[in-house]
Amino acid sequence: MEEREGGFRKETVERLLRLHFRDGRTRVNGDALLLMAELLKVFVREAAARAARQAQAEDLEKVDIEHVEKVLPQLLLDFV
Amino acid sequence: MAAARPRLSAGREISGGRAMEAAGGEQRELLIQRLRAAVHYTTGCLCQDVAEDKGVLFSKQTVAAISEITFRQCENFARDLEMFARHAKRSTITSEDVKLLARRSNSLLKYITQKSDELASSNMEQKEKKKKKSSAAKGRKTEENETPVTESEDSNMA
Repeated sequence: MEEREGGFRKETVERLLRLHFRDGRTRVNGDALLLMAELLKVFVREAAARAARQAQAEDLEKVDIEHVEKVLPQLLLDFV
Repeated sequence: MAAARPRLSAGREISGGRAMEAAGGEQRELLIQRLRAAVHYTTGCLCQDVAEDKGVLFSKQTVAAISEITFRQCENFARDLEMFARHAKRSTITSEDVKLLARRSNSLLKYITQKSDELASSNMEQKEKKKKKSSAAKGRKTEENETPVTESEDSNMA
């Protein structure tokens, strides 16, 4: 696996998910946590990349919030 | 930001039970703030990667927006995962549930499945190692040099 700078920590992912569980008994196993960390990483990178592409399509070097807004609907539809 | 105050009518007496809930509420608010900050930090790192790859700059608001969106998506993810596990009559969420979550996008599903397989095979390796060690400890001659299997417990997996 390639070494990348960023990535979500296992404990962070666990707490993030546990925050929203409806049942107190629900747990997440180790592998699932690692996979979710990957999924979240992909999500963020995809959002960033699409926003960047949008900005570049508008001949801009700086990615601003409007670019995120423009790509958000399709991102959410594509993702989950 | 000041810690959130529990929403109770001003001046009313708080019964014992309510006071406990109120304390729990504040705890939860603090946890939420900490998690938001953690997500924001990682989002920043990842955006930095993408910025370098694409030769662009992300405004602070952009990073904040992506971070917030991600944070909110986690609620959907968590609820879905919980439902998937429950549907399978389990209380522990597994890789299978995560794969189901990723079903909408073919490339995403493929990527997650690949990672899942990598994890599974590295888990097998770990088990093999343990078996070897325990049988070696049971008195077998350890003259041969055990070539160390590449440790996958690296920062990347953490």
